[in-house]
Amino acid sequence: MTSTTQTVCPSCGGPISQADHFCEACGAELTPATPATPAIDTDTEPTVELNPAAARGAEAAPGPCRSCGGTIGPDGYCETCGTKATKPRDHFSEQPAPWVAAVCDRGIRHSRNEDAVAIAADPEPGSRALLVVCDGVSSSLDSDVASLAAARAARDVLEAGNAQGMGTESSRISAVVARLKAAADAASDAVLANTSPDSPNPASCTFVATVLEGDLLVAGVVGDSRAYWFPDNAEAVALTVDDSWAAELIATGVPRHEAETGPQAHAITRWLGKDAPDHTPRTTSMKVVGPGWLMACSDGLWNYCSEAAPLADLTRQTAAAHNGDPLATASALVDWANAQGGQDNITVALARI
Amino acid sequence: MAEFSASVYQNEFLPDGGTDVHAIVTVSCSGAGSAGQTGSGDAGEIIIVDTSGSMGAEGVRAAAFAAQTALDQILDGVWFAVISGNDRAQLAFPPSPEPVMVKMDQFTRRAAKDAVARFFADGGTAMGTWLRLASRVFATVPSLTQKHALLLTDGENQHESPEVLTQTIEAVTGQFQCDCRGVGVAWQVNEVRRIATALLGTVDIIPAPDQLAAEFSKIIQNAMSKGVAQADMRVWAPQGAQVLFVRQVAPTVDDLTSRRTEVNALTGAYPTGSWGDESRDYHVAIRLAAKGIGQEQLAARVQLAIGSDVVAQGLVRALWSEDEALTTRISPEVAHYTGQTELADAIQEGLAAKAAGDTATATTKLGRAVQLAAQTGNEEATTRLRKVVDIDDQDNGTVRLKRTVEKADEMALDTASTKTTRVKK
Repeated sequence: MTSTTQTVCPSCGGPISQADHFCEACGAELTPATPATPAIDTDTEPTVELNPAAARGAEAAPGPCRSCGGTIGPDGYCETCGTKATKPRDHFSEQPAPWVAAVCDRGIRHSRNEDAVAIAADPEPGSRALLVVCDGVSSSLDSDVASLAAARAARDVLEAGNAQGMGTESSRISAVVARLKAAADAASDAVLANTSPDSPNPASCTFVATVLEGDLLVAGVVGDSRAYWFPDNAEAVALTVDDSWAAELIATGVPRHEAETGPQAHAITRWLGKDAPDHTPRTTSMKVVGPGWLMACSDGLWNYCSEAAPLADLTRQTAAAHNGDPLATASALVDWANAQGGQDNITVALARI
Repeated sequence: MAEFSASVYQNEFLPDGGTDVHAIVTVSCSGAGSAGQTGSGDAGEIIIVDTSGSMGAEGVRAAAFAAQTALDQILDGVWFAVISGNDRAQLAFPPSPEPVMVKMDQFTRRAAKDAVARFFADGGTAMGTWLRLASRVFATVPSLTQKHALLLTDGENQHESPEVLTQTIEAVTGQFQCDCRGVGVAWQVNEVRRIATALLGTVDIIPAPDQLAAEFSKIIQNAMSKGVAQADMRVWAPQGAQVLFVRQVAPTVDDLTSRRTEVNALTGAYPTGSWGDESRDYHVAIRLAAKGIGQEQLAARVQLAIGSDVVAQGLVRALWSEDEALTTRISPEVAHYTGQTELADAIQEGLAAKAAGDTATATTKLGRAVQLAAQTGNEEATTRLRKVVDIDDQDNGTVRLKRTVEKADEMALDTASTKTTRVKK
C-alpha cells in the first residue's frame, strides 16, 4: 500500500507511525488517498484456511448473495444487486456442540476481520467447553492471519489436556491455569510464525480463553478481550480485567464510561506478538453453581455495552428471543453490535451451562 | 490479436445518503491490425463526393483528385465503391445500374480513378439520398463486418426536407460508420454533425479545395488502421439503479446514453464502432439507492464487448463513508471531463445564439467557454475561441464578440467543439 507522511492521526490527533494502517489510539483507519488506479480489493486474503473443504467449495461456486440471493460474479460482487460478497474470513461461526457456539464478524467500519475465535466442547451440556477469542491489533500487519492462527493453536492446547477428576480443587485450578499459560504460549508462537522477521509492524493480538470443566470455570486474559459469567439467578460477573490504558484509568478511580470513551481508550498495555513485553495470561477461577451463560467476546461487542450487568440483561433477552439457542443468540448479539455502528470487528462466543 | 484494457478513475467514497457515482473509464486497444485483415470478416469503404452545381468545375476537380488520393490509401482486398451525389445519388464506381461493390486491386483502383476523373458539377444537394444509396451498396456484400464511408459536401441540404434527412439518418444508423467533411463555408455544421454523430464518425471543415486530398488521405488511412470491426460498450448497473448517462469524453465528446440497446435487464450496450490502436475515455454516471455508512457495493461493470465476448472490464465502486476527507475529494479525471463536456456545450450554444442574433447569450456562453478552456488546459479551444471573441479576462470569462469574424474560423470552432484534451495524469 501507499506510504503516508502524516504523523498524527487525523481523527484523534494521537501519534502514529508511517507504517500504521490504523491509529493505535482511536482505531481510525489511516489508509491514505486511494491509489490512482483503484484496486478492486486490496485486502490480503488470509493464508489460514477457515475450513479447507468449505473454502475450496466457496472458490469453485461462491454462495448466493447475502443481500438479495443473487449470483456472485467472478469479480466478487453480486450480479444482481452489486453487493460485495463476503469473504469466508469476514464472517464465520462455529458450533462444536449444541450448547456452545461462536460468531466472528468483520463489523461495518473495518475493511478486514482481524478478530478470531476457536472453540471446542464435549457433547454433554455443561460438561466441558473451551472458548478462545483473539482480536488482531489493527495497527499491525497481517493481524487477521495471526489472530486466527493464535486462537486455534490455543484451543488445540486446551483441548489436549483434561484435568477432570484429578486431585483436589486447588490442584485442578493450578492444572488449568498451567494449561492456559501453555495455550497463551502456543498462541504467541502462532503469531510469531505469521510475522515476517523484518516486519516494521509485527502482527499482534489479544487473547482471552475460558476453560469450563464441570463446575470449574477458569479464564485467562492478555489485552482487552473479555470473558463474563451471566448466571440466571445471580449477579453477572466480569471474569477478566483488561490490560488497557482505560483499565488503568479505571483502577485509579476514573469512571468506566469516561475511561472507555477517552482518546486512549483502545490502547492496550499487553498483547501477544513479537514486540510483546509479556504474554502470561492473568487468570481468574470460580465455581459454577446453577445455570447461566458463559461469554467470551472482543471489544467489538463490549464497546456498546461494557458493564457486566447490562450485558447480562442484553444476553438473557437476546437468548430468550432465540429459544436459548447459543448460535442464534451469538449471531443476534453480533447483529446488535452492527446495528450500534459496527465500529470494530465483533466476536461473541457463548456456552449455555 | 487485439488486446483491450480498461482502467477506472473515480472517487468511490460517498457521503451518508449519497447516491450518484461518477467514473471515467479509459479503454485502450493495442494490436488491432488493419481493416479486413484480421480474419473476422471483410472491410468495406465507400467514398461519397458532392458533385452539385455549387462545387463548380474547380471544386469538382479538387474533389476528384482527393478521391483518387483516397483510393490509393484503400488496402488491397477491401471492398469499395464511389458515389457521386447531388440532388440524387449515383454509383460512380463500379459502373453499374444496380448497387454493387468490388474488391480493391491494381485494376479496380485504376478503373475507379478513371471514373472519378469524369466527375462534373451539376444539380442540387440531397445528402439523404447519398446515405441511402451507400447503405444499399454496403448491403450487397454480406461478408462485410466493417463498413466505413467518407462523405464530402459543400452546401446546405436544400433539396430534401430536414424531416426526410432525419428519417434517413435513423434508417441507416448502425448500418455503417461515416466521417463527414464540409468544404468551404456554405454548408451547415449542425446538419452535417447530425449525420456524423449518428453514424459514429467525425465532422470537420476543409476551408479550401486544395486541402481536400491531404484530409481524405488521412481519413482513409485512419479507417484502414481499424482492425477491430465493431465493439460495444456495455454498462451493467445494479437492480434498482439508474444509468444517468454514458458519454465518450475523449478524444471527442459524444453522448451515448440514448443509443442503449438492452443486453439484459441490468446491462445496456452502446455501439462504439471500429477500433484501431487507440485509447478512449468514457464518463459513466450511476444513481444508486444509498446504503449505510461503511457498506460497499458495485455501482457499475463497464465492459468492452466484441460480439458477445467481453474483452475488458472496469469496476465502478461505491463506498459510503463518514469521513469528509474522503467523500469531498473530487476525482481530477471526472472534474476534467465534466468541464470539457460543458465546454463543448458552451461553444455550440454560444455560436447558435450568435447566429440567431442573441448577442447577450452568445457573449455569456462563449465567455464561459473561454473560462472552461483555460481551466481544463484546452489550448486548442482557446486558440479557436480567440478568433471569434476578444478576451478581456480569461479567468472570469469576460469576452466581447469580435465585430468581424471569418466564417471559416467560426465553423472550425463549431466542428472542433467536441474535441477534448486528455487529462494530465
